[in-house]
Amino acid sequence: MKVAFPHMGNAYIPLKALVEYMGVEAVVPERPNYRTLERGARHAPEFVCLPFKITLGDCMNALENGADTMAMVCGMWACRFGYYAYVQHLILRDLGYEFDSLLIGREDPRAVLEKICSVVGRRGLLRLPGAFAMLRAKAGAVDELEGLARKIRPREEAPGSTDALMEVYLAKLDAAASLRGVKELRLEQREAMSALPSHGPNGTLRVRIVGELYVLLEPSLNLELVKRLGTQFGVEAQPVLSTYRWLLSSLWLDPLLHVSSSRARRVSRTYLPYVLGGEEHMTITGTLDAPGDGFDGVIHAYPLTCMPENICRTILPHISRENDIPMLDLCFDEHTSTVGMMTRLEAFIEMLSSRRKNKP
Amino acid sequence: MKIGIPRALMFYRYYPFLKSFLEEYGCEVQPSPPTNLKMLGEGTDICVDDVCVAVKVLFGHVAQLAGKVDTILIPRLVSVERRGYDTFTCPKLIAAPDMIRYSFPHLPAPLEFIVDISRMPWWWSCLRLARQLKLPLRGFPRTYGAAMQEQGRFDALLHRGLLPAEALAKIANGNGSPPPAYLSERDVTVAVVGHPYLLGDPIVNKRLVHWLDMSGARVLGSTMLTKEDLDAEESVLPPLSWSYEKELMAAASIFLKRDDVDGVIYLTSFGCGPDSLVTEMVRRELKPTGDQVLLELVLDEHSAESGVRTRAEAFVDLLRHRMRTRAGAGRAR
Repeated sequence: MKVAFPHMGNAYIPLKALVEYMGVEAVVPERPNYRTLERGARHAPEFVCLPFKITLGDCMNALENGADTMAMVCGMWACRFGYYAYVQHLILRDLGYEFDSLLIGREDPRAVLEKICSVVGRRGLLRLPGAFAMLRAKAGAVDELEGLARKIRPREEAPGSTDALMEVYLAKLDAAASLRGVKELRLEQREAMSALPSHGPNGTLRVRIVGELYVLLEPSLNLELVKRLGTQFGVEAQPVLSTYRWLLSSLWLDPLLHVSSSRARRVSRTYLPYVLGGEEHMTITGTLDAPGDGFDGVIHAYPLTCMPENICRTILPHISRENDIPMLDLCFDEHTSTVGMMTRLEAFIEMLSSRRKNKP
Repeated sequence: MKIGIPRALMFYRYYPFLKSFLEEYGCEVQPSPPTNLKMLGEGTDICVDDVCVAVKVLFGHVAQLAGKVDTILIPRLVSVERRGYDTFTCPKLIAAPDMIRYSFPHLPAPLEFIVDISRMPWWWSCLRLARQLKLPLRGFPRTYGAAMQEQGRFDALLHRGLLPAEALAKIANGNGSPPPAYLSERDVTVAVVGHPYLLGDPIVNKRLVHWLDMSGARVLGSTMLTKEDLDAEESVLPPLSWSYEKELMAAASIFLKRDDVDGVIYLTSFGCGPDSLVTEMVRRELKPTGDQVLLELVLDEHSAESGVRTRAEAFVDLLRHRMRTRAGAGRAR
């Protein structure tokens, strides 16, 4: 069995660790890029949301790299995400690919467990707790690394030095084979990152990014929004969501995440009393909290036709006015160009800095 | 009290019930006028860009009602059936009142009429609506019964084959009008599968039914199928938690199997979230067996009548051509 799963930011590092700890081979295709998106968009339904298209292209890459089992989380929610794998696998089979589906959440959990059992054996299941510990450790380390990079990138002396260092440590983390190794790397990366030459923290603009999970976390889809804000505009960009949050809260591995998510649901209830199946609570609460958390502005990023985020978009202007926080909507689809996005970012950042200057 | 009900989305499903229920209680019910191009344009201006045309039409209707009524009623449809698993409607139907509330800040908040059948029965939702309007609960059973009867009459008309717009007109004008021409026996039969708000609004569907009728086809709508018909089909479908889309998929499956149907048109609107995946499932899972043709027709606010007309005519021509060549092949043998 060679398992593959779609890319989402740096989630491949902890997920690969999980699969390999179980003694199964993981196939990680190349990082998604515009070619992946193009391939996916060619076979995907016309007006499905963008993550569907790019993950479809990603699945094709994985299958061509020798994967024989496609794993994906599914569910029966109001948001389309729950049906991604089902429809994607229909499309892939119609295209002539042959593979096994591992639909986690849609199939009976016992059936999934049995499928895993048939590969790793009953004894192999004993490795599950260890595998989850590994996933958690690596996800935590990657999350910390990304957090440090977001802080340091806008202030780095040599442009691109943060990202170069980050790539080094991501590769090291990916290769780490033991919990102790991950722990040591964590200490090492903290030191190395803070040793990077940078200027002082004063005067950096801070922007919060809210919106749809996949667009927030996948740099190839959001055209490296976070990185560009850091290196080209010197702005610290902080997304409200992270791969750590997504991986661990769905696996119930970090109870603290549930505390913050249920708080977000409670706070957003005045605006949206019903659950819509996406990250709408984080979008609403993130925007509401932004002035208090010391942000100068909010960027709302979402894929074209995303249902929960579109609903948020009708509500956000209201919140932005009431709380006096500027906001910019960025809607992504396969035709979004870097230049268009940069122009809008430039104007937005210009406005934020003049606002800060004129503040009494 | 004057209550405005926008002629959009679930108007085409529950209006007879709501009208009868509120009027029995002595409220005045004011539906918005039938959609026109100006309202469609106005809705498109106010609404966010990338939602489906049906939601934009809703915005246009609310703008039309603004200032003319005391309050607006938009049902909040969270779930419409009780199953062993979670069921939902589209997120936009769940949050429609919220979208309206924040897009029209100068209007009073719409009435909360929450339909969540998986958690509370329909009559309980109605009772809550009555409480919210401070209506006496004493007359509730009688009012509710009368409204259910009215809804039953509407549903019966739909099941006889009338499309939502004609059924609503018939309920309003009494039984005098003759049955519409598209129901009569013809050489070609086309089944149109789509949400009632697409089938029922001639501005949104660009008079598709009319053009099919003019081309000489008998038209069946997915609204004519009863709940029992649709439920019987469920076993062949993949599990779906969107109740309305599951109905559409069941309808497509039924029509694609029926011998008296020559072609099926699956009508969707651009940007419809659930339909973007459900059309893909229909196309790939319910492959037409060879006797029928499946046409997917996507509508948006830029659709033009001439475009839809051409498609409708070409589709009917294609069906006739197929029938002729088949008959010819039969003779040759």
